[in-house]
Amino acid sequence: MESSVHRRGQLIAIANLRWRMFVNGLRSRRGKMELLSRVIVTLAFTVGGFGGFAAATGFAWYFTSQNKDEFLPVLLWPIFFFWQVFPVMATAFTNNPDSSELLRFPLTYRSFFLVRLAYGMFDPASALSSASIIGILLGITVARPLLFPWALLALFTFGLFNLVLMQTVFAWVERWLAQRRTREVLGVLFILFMLSFQLIGPITASLDKHPRPELKRAIEIGARVQGALPPGLAGDAIAQAAHGQYGVGITSLLFLAVLTMAVGYLLHLRLRRQFRGENLSEAAARPLVVQSQMVQLGWELPGFSDSVGAIFEKEIRYLSRSGPMLLTLIMPIFMLVIFRLGPMNSMHQRSNFFNRAPDMAFPGVAAYALLVLTNLVYNSFGGEAAGIQFYYASPVAFRHIVLGKNLTHAAILVGNTFLAWIAVTLFYGQPTLAVSVATVAGLLFAAPLNFTAGNLLSLYSPRKRDFSTFGRQNVSQTTVLASLGVQIAVVGIGAAAFLIARLYKNLWIATLLFLALAIISWVLYAMVLKRLDGIAVERRETLLAELCRA
Amino acid sequence: MDLSPTICTQGLTRRFGELVAVDNVNLRVAPGQFFGFLGPNGAGKSTTIKMLTGLLAPSAGRVEILGLDLNTDPVNVKRQIGVVPEGMALFGRLTGAEFLSFAGRMYGLDRATAAKRASELLDFMSLADQPKKLVTDYSHGMQKKLAMAAAVIHGPKVLFLDEPFEGVDAIAAGTLKSMLQGMIARGATIFLTSHVLEIVERLCSHVAIIHQGKLVAQGSLEELRAGVEAQTPAGSGDGAAASGEKLTLEQIFLRVVGGSRRTEMELSWLG
Repeated sequence: MESSVHRRGQLIAIANLRWRMFVNGLRSRRGKMELLSRVIVTLAFTVGGFGGFAAATGFAWYFTSQNKDEFLPVLLWPIFFFWQVFPVMATAFTNNPDSSELLRFPLTYRSFFLVRLAYGMFDPASALSSASIIGILLGITVARPLLFPWALLALFTFGLFNLVLMQTVFAWVERWLAQRRTREVLGVLFILFMLSFQLIGPITASLDKHPRPELKRAIEIGARVQGALPPGLAGDAIAQAAHGQYGVGITSLLFLAVLTMAVGYLLHLRLRRQFRGENLSEAAARPLVVQSQMVQLGWELPGFSDSVGAIFEKEIRYLSRSGPMLLTLIMPIFMLVIFRLGPMNSMHQRSNFFNRAPDMAFPGVAAYALLVLTNLVYNSFGGEAAGIQFYYASPVAFRHIVLGKNLTHAAILVGNTFLAWIAVTLFYGQPTLAVSVATVAGLLFAAPLNFTAGNLLSLYSPRKRDFSTFGRQNVSQTTVLASLGVQIAVVGIGAAAFLIARLYKNLWIATLLFLALAIISWVLYAMVLKRLDGIAVERRETLLAELCRA
Repeated sequence: MDLSPTICTQGLTRRFGELVAVDNVNLRVAPGQFFGFLGPNGAGKSTTIKMLTGLLAPSAGRVEILGLDLNTDPVNVKRQIGVVPEGMALFGRLTGAEFLSFAGRMYGLDRATAAKRASELLDFMSLADQPKKLVTDYSHGMQKKLAMAAAVIHGPKVLFLDEPFEGVDAIAAGTLKSMLQGMIARGATIFLTSHVLEIVERLCSHVAIIHQGKLVAQGSLEELRAGVEAQTPAGSGDGAAASGEKLTLEQIFLRVVGGSRRTEMELSWLG
């Protein structure tokens, strides 16, 4: 009894702590900006959430009122995918504070587990998906009010499963990325997973050519398999109840509950270790004989000063040691594989945008490559922690430090674009010279524009980040909002340029437009870079306070 | 003989809202001095050292290092100083060797010199035995030694150290002390803050004490001792003055700052 009161007191204290941190954060001008951005971002997500809610309500009502309850999984599968994939694809939007900092207090393991789940509930993916689930519940209830308690139970279990699964995926991916050996195993699994996607395309394509018995059988197998998975189970539980077969419905619901508990157990294995103070350090054993050895020469960056070269080397070393960041950076190629070889491509070839317009595949992937870089570019000092003091104490101009960082970002973009070009060549055929040149010209315009905005936001709205954790980051809403605005503008301009070029059947028009815009964005970049020394001095206290805090 | 001070502040002031953390501080540190900067918690030591090294802007006043104004010529000042700030300013996801090589190049050394000095410093600090270990996996004491190595890799003329011996074991502390004394012997100036008054007493030739943001004492140890003894009537304080023994730095400090001990009776619920 006493312990449960104690636990409740702790949970209230943690909720109060988050609230006080939020309120205290509003004292500064940056905090007020953050609140404004949070309101705008929340409004944007609310619009998205309301859209999902309305669509889910409408379809759920239609399926239930027309006695087509067996189609409910069609609504649950997209929610499942969005909930699990969005946080991984768009880590910049993932706002999931690190609960391990609470471990210094006498927190029980159960409270620690609950806090971790509670933090996950405030993630945008969780909020949006929950809105859609509530929409489905509303649609079902309006169509058949008596189904409400049953649908509530099934959908709640489904929501809980997703919440637990998201936390489990993050916790385990973080674990696997933490050490070299597990990183290599994960890499092999990742490649096997990509290869398995390659099989789906040809198999379903051959079924498409000889559709009748094989396709029917494949669909039957697919339906049976999905029925045993969480969205299918939740849908089936409701559908069976709607048809009065509560016994079968309970079986599906129980199976879903068992799956939730199984995934919860996997999460428990991870969190239990974290709770006990797990350290995933890769430090080698102390050698028996200490040998003095010569330190290797640093890298040289031709055409740039030694300090810029040193920053470039430091940045590359940092990134190469961050599994989560590497995973984020290879996402564009992964998404291309899913687009080209995944089921959505093979079943309805014309419904895939890149199939209808393969010449847009290279620009599309290149644009996504730039998008994933925003994680780094818009908070480029986030990973420095107390190291930021070194920059301020050293005799190097801040613009040179930022230039070294931007060169690293540019090198990653060049590498990713080159890989994208090879991948597009393999999957969609070699992009034409006009498309390739237009894409590169587009990047010449978009990259410096992003770097300019990113450099300013890195100084004006910094957030400390840990390169070794996956998903457990506290992102700045101001940065999210600003980067979203820049991306919308860049993608809009890019799409318009390609549209005009396609209208006139001459892609070189797009190249010319991009090059003209590139001149403007480069001038802007140079102007802002020149001013960075002054801004860095002006923002010195904010940067040091944010990045050096424990 | 050059009498112009290596470190000179005039009216150095720093306000945080309504709080005056450092109030009109005028410091003078002569070339070659080993200077200890003391004060109770929250007195303004770290704020002062941050202003002296360009990590924090003063609200008012001037800072001159080696005759150069820190505000108007920060890059030239920073080239000639080394700093171990409060948070140590390390990059956790580099190895010790990579960090030192990086630090050397940021301070203008060429790649070969930076690598050579990094190697020598790792050896000197006994940090060379685990070359692949990341800084984030170093113990606190090892991080302190690495921060110190990075601060001296370019051979600075002035060294600023904020609590350099905090969390460092006796062996490492001995190594650091001998390195610092070697630097003083070669003409460098060292400015350090520390809570360990015995260390300050043993190392420093000159001391300043800051209390509630104000500089309350400054001079050589003998000058401070004489000043305190002159202000305190014989037999009124602790036994030292009365018995004719020299006042220790701790006694001087307590008298200047006016600290009083709280008794354990005030927290009777403590086990």
